Amino acid sequence: MFPESLRDRWRIAAQQAGCLQEIRLRVNAPAAVLIDRKEWFVDEDGSLVDRQPAAAQYGAEKLEAILKHLCQYSVYAFADEIRQGFLTIQGGHRVGLAGQVIMEDDKRIRNLKYIRYLNIRIAHEIKGVSDPILPYLYDSQGKVCNTLLIAPPGCGKTTMLRDVIRNFSNGTGYGDGVNVSVVDERSEIAGSYLGIAQNDVGIRTDVLDGCPKREGMMMLIRAMAPQVLAVDELGSEEDIQALQMASGCGCRLIATIHGGSVEEVQHKKYMRNVIADRLFDRYLVLTRKNGCCEVEGIYDGDGKRCLN
Amino acid sequence: MFKLIGFFCILAGCIGWGISKIAEEQSRIRHLRELIRIIKRMQDEISYGKHTLPEICLILSEYCDTLYRPYFRQVYARINQSGGAGLERVWEEQMCQCLQEAPLTREEKDILIDLLQNFGLQEEKLQAQNIGQSMDLLNRKCRQAEEAYENRAKMLLSVSVLAGVFLTILLL
Repeated sequence: MFPESLRDRWRIAAQQAGCLQEIRLRVNAPAAVLIDRKEWFVDEDGSLVDRQPAAAQYGAEKLEAILKHLCQYSVYAFADEIRQGFLTIQGGHRVGLAGQVIMEDDKRIRNLKYIRYLNIRIAHEIKGVSDPILPYLYDSQGKVCNTLLIAPPGCGKTTMLRDVIRNFSNGTGYGDGVNVSVVDERSEIAGSYLGIAQNDVGIRTDVLDGCPKREGMMMLIRAMAPQVLAVDELGSEEDIQALQMASGCGCRLIATIHGGSVEEVQHKKYMRNVIADRLFDRYLVLTRKNGCCEVEGIYDGDGKRCLN
Repeated sequence: MFKLIGFFCILAGCIGWGISKIAEEQSRIRHLRELIRIIKRMQDEISYGKHTLPEICLILSEYCDTLYRPYFRQVYARINQSGGAGLERVWEEQMCQCLQEAPLTREEKDILIDLLQNFGLQEEKLQAQNIGQSMDLLNRKCRQAEEAYENRAKMLLSVSVLAGVFLTILLL
């Protein structure tokens, strides 16, 4: 992840990769890492310290070198992602970017320059994380329920979604394996590299990588005849329209959305009708308590709790 | 009789030297053409496929001349190793190794070795155009070499025959 010149400095942090959640690099500010929800700073020798004055600082040149290395000298290949303020690197890790925005005449974002703030979010594949909730995601006939995963950022939505996909695809004690199609717009679910999923998403899973959700869902329905369609981070009216169309085609749906509760999601303008029309049979709410991610509750289509 | 055999041996040796020099020139042109083909392919993969540089190396390892294949595969393999070296160093090392024996001038070799310095642009078309400059440079070198080849071949052959005759006379 880091250029050779900086690699030694990050060796200690890398040794704790299992618990490493975030690396935050800001120009002329101490480099910070988040390990098990605790913030540490990295000093010049690479040791983790909790005192800010001892921490190493990175200048603009070093940040540029890191970005260049993350992009494998191929910034052009990540231009669309950079425009949206992030890029996904090999392994499905997401790098958030901030700097100076260049605007088009029509007020669209053209590019990002002077990228001076990086937030590297480490993706973790946790197999079996969805096992306890699986009984609630199948109906009485063993069919997959349309499910919406709701959680604030950093609560493990994508990790949970990935494991649910794997279980649906491989089959569980509650239902047979089904063909799952995934629209992996940001390459975070499957973490595909050269078109091959790096994370285990199951044996009956087809992945459409890097495609916008709206186009991707319709493409997959036409091309791959999925029984279950999975998408991450619904965020616009268009996503919802595509989801409704997909539901009309007989696919079961599994999706995630940012939010703290079903009520909070209900207040989003574009979600109001979705919840009223009972597009989803299950709402799975994830939360963070005492620094740990956990399932806050599972609700049915009417908003009644299935699991406390 | 021995003098006659000696004469033919010296002549054959000199002509052989001339022919080897001509073959070297042919080989230089062949290498230049191959380098142009490699950069052209890189351009296409950047502007159309938006592949990253390591991915392009993997593609080239299956596509380009057999002489270059293992080196591009090595670039791809080494940067994908856990804790592997940075792309800049790997590229330079592999390309230096790859072109070590190639009958190219230092300037021509440097065009490929320093190619990475032309990377870093954020727009794929611009990036492709940018490495196109290296291709233009190689194209010019190749054209010059091709134009000069015929005359140079004639000159080398004549010089080698004359050198053979001159040596024979000298030794007689």
